[in-house]
Amino acid sequence: MGIATVFIIGLGFPLVIHGERIFGFLWWPYMMGAGILLVVISLWIRIDWLSVLVGVLGATFVWGSTELKEQAVRAEIGWYPFNGNKIKPPFENILKKWKAPHL
Amino acid sequence: MNFIGVVAALTAFFSIWFGHVAVRKIEFTSPIIWLPTTTFAALGLFVEFLSLSMVNRPMSVVFGILGITLLFDALEFTRQQKRIIKGHAPANPNNSLHIKILAEHSSATTLDLLKRDPVGHVVSINKPIS
Repeated sequence: MGIATVFIIGLGFPLVIHGERIFGFLWWPYMMGAGILLVVISLWIRIDWLSVLVGVLGATFVWGSTELKEQAVRAEIGWYPFNGNKIKPPFENILKKWKAPHL
Repeated sequence: MNFIGVVAALTAFFSIWFGHVAVRKIEFTSPIIWLPTTTFAALGLFVEFLSLSMVNRPMSVVFGILGITLLFDALEFTRQQKRIIKGHAPANPNNSLHIKILAEHSSATTLDLLKRDPVGHVVSINKPIS
């Protein structure tokens, strides 16, 4: 389980980098929601190892959502390629008023 | 309902959070990184051993995930130091190791260049922080 976890957490790095590049940091509530949904889904998985993997994947999504804002800054200051044509999130104007989390 | 996935998720989230903060703070103040690296690696191996010897499955999952994140954090000390050298994380002018890095690498800085909000376009690294 631990080894599988390290692969899933490792997956979080490209998830945040590419996710931010394609979608932008304003998608953070959707990423967080997807993570929470995965954790909730894990409750109905009877096979223990599969429930654990889905739960950890959910936690990785929630953690990733808190990293999107900082990744956006990294791209803007030139540490990562910047994409000016990101896919805009639904309710963009509302999301702009929300403070993106960073832990 | 099977709560083992929720237990795993909470363990993963809080151990990643703990590691994220601990690595930055310890590396910032420690003049040597082999000591925290070795401590985290030893602790990680010990926790993994505990996980393997647990009969209780949820506890085994908790220790398994916690142990692997501690091992991951052990590697992160070296990665964090590389960030200091590149200027991707702020150097501590009161840390003798960082003083040496600041003297040897022009890219290193005491400024936290990530401490700003995204603006939606490319900005100069030298622009005042918002």
